[in-house]
Amino acid sequence: MQAASTGPSQMSNSVTIALFELQKLFNNKRGILSIVAFSLVWGIILLYPIRGASDYLLSPDFKAFIASFFGEGAVNQLFQWQVAELAVFWCLGLYLFPLFSIFIAADQFASDRSRGTFRFLTLRASRNSIFFGRFIGQMAIQLFLVILAVSATVLLAISRDSSLIGAAIFDGVLVTLNLFIVLLPFTALMAILSLHASTARQATVQAIVFWALTSIAMAAINFYAPQLAMLEWTLPGAQLSSMINTQGMDSLSYSAIPLLQALVLLFIGRLYMIRIAL
Amino acid sequence: MSLIKCHNLSKDFGSTQALNNVSIELEGGKPIALVGPNGAGKTTLFSILCGYISATSGTVEILGSPAGSPTLLGRISALPQDAALDPNFSIASQLAFFASLQGYKSKHARAEAKRVLSLVGLLESANQKPDSLSHGMGKRVAIAQAMIGEPELVLLDEPTAGLDPANAKKLRELIDSLAQHTQFIISSHNLDELEKLCDQVIYLEKGQLTQSVSIQNNQDDNKFLTLTLTECDAQQVIQVIQVLSEHPGIHHIESRNAKEFLIERVAINQKSTPDKPLNNTYEVESFIFQQLQKHHWQYKQLLNGKRLEDTLFS
Repeated sequence: MQAASTGPSQMSNSVTIALFELQKLFNNKRGILSIVAFSLVWGIILLYPIRGASDYLLSPDFKAFIASFFGEGAVNQLFQWQVAELAVFWCLGLYLFPLFSIFIAADQFASDRSRGTFRFLTLRASRNSIFFGRFIGQMAIQLFLVILAVSATVLLAISRDSSLIGAAIFDGVLVTLNLFIVLLPFTALMAILSLHASTARQATVQAIVFWALTSIAMAAINFYAPQLAMLEWTLPGAQLSSMINTQGMDSLSYSAIPLLQALVLLFIGRLYMIRIAL
Repeated sequence: MSLIKCHNLSKDFGSTQALNNVSIELEGGKPIALVGPNGAGKTTLFSILCGYISATSGTVEILGSPAGSPTLLGRISALPQDAALDPNFSIASQLAFFASLQGYKSKHARAEAKRVLSLVGLLESANQKPDSLSHGMGKRVAIAQAMIGEPELVLLDEPTAGLDPANAKKLRELIDSLAQHTQFIISSHNLDELEKLCDQVIYLEKGQLTQSVSIQNNQDDNKFLTLTLTECDAQQVIQVIQVLSEHPGIHHIESRNAKEFLIERVAINQKSTPDKPLNNTYEVESFIFQQLQKHHWQYKQLLNGKRLEDTLFS
């Protein structure tokens, strides 16, 4: 029997943990069921709002309707997308994926902590490795789901007009990258809540309460102390409404906000992870 | 290098003090027992040693490193109380995952998982999910995970709690056989079990270290014999005490219960050694056996020394 060599590095263990998270998704009935459920939801979204998108977005009447609803200039970039399907996907995905994230990433730690499985892990891997490994694993899972949905949308667009293939792939890559960055702070926040909660459901409820309370707080701050309104940018998803009206490389101009939020949240989460009793 | 060195270790949970200035230095060797009533702080001490919780004050070193140090990863292992594997994945896949975290490559990690499962006799259950196992099997799997990578120190928190006698016996035999290469620290309420497995016994009470007893020394000093008879009535108990008290080598005899007698020899300031055992004529023992034969008393056990419970609680 070959004995274990010198202990693996923290980074190596983070990767091992992240890969096991992916393995959980693909080698497990529950994981496969969630992929099937996700595919069905996106299948419906693709078949109805997105498939009909090209007709709507190319229609001047629809453009006038949207402009009157949201204001001239508020959604003008939406009509600049070369691939109409991806424009609709962008609008929906920008809000739906963070919402999925709250559910998908809710069990990063909660079950393992309450079940005591963490105690087996911390005998072999540092708390840093476990924390970042799980986070990376959850991001990899979400990246897989984003790629799945974007690929289906690209295929839908190409099936309508094969000349769009180049633009669809380019925009698809940009949308994937943008959504991945958008999801970072949501997943990091769920990591913290999942450490605190004893079940995934509790973590989800806490997330909903968090956003509800912070929205109310921000509304109050905007009203009573507008000079502090910039605090809004500390909240994950604060930039989403502004990102709707962007496309192509311009969307990446908002990346700094979620990246900074994710860094701060990961720092807080790591501190919490190190101090928490298991 | 000491196995474990605690200095003024305290742990508070709110207003409850689970550990109160525990200072102890343990050396390696035979398995070490950690004993104490419920709420004495045994699990808290184990949790600090494993790095699950941090101490409120004081220091603790294991194998020369502070508890929770990354240098201890894979070197110490534990059977934590009430910890369970993920019910959604097979036992083998989870154990292989643990092995890979300890540095085993994919193929070797699977082989290591099989090795530890064979140690506990559960290789055939490797592909089952944890929920499909009985309590006893689950405990054995938890012990298997503790043996991954042949750690230097294994902490077992109540390893036989909730096990049926047959499985508890198997587990004791397993620990006994593994103890040749691995240092165990075992927390348990089962004193008979600890007496069979361990040499040193640490007694915690109300968060404080009250006793540290060596079972071997207790037997070596040859001061006591514990005689257990099969059945005794009250009249017979008195008779046994009277008859045995007559021997000049017996200083005192008292009945611990209706069947058990603690016999104190006349003090001899001499230590026994394997090549020269004390009382090598077994004078007192011979006298006891003669009296047993004479009075047709059936004996169950004659133990050199006190029982652990008598040592700790008398």
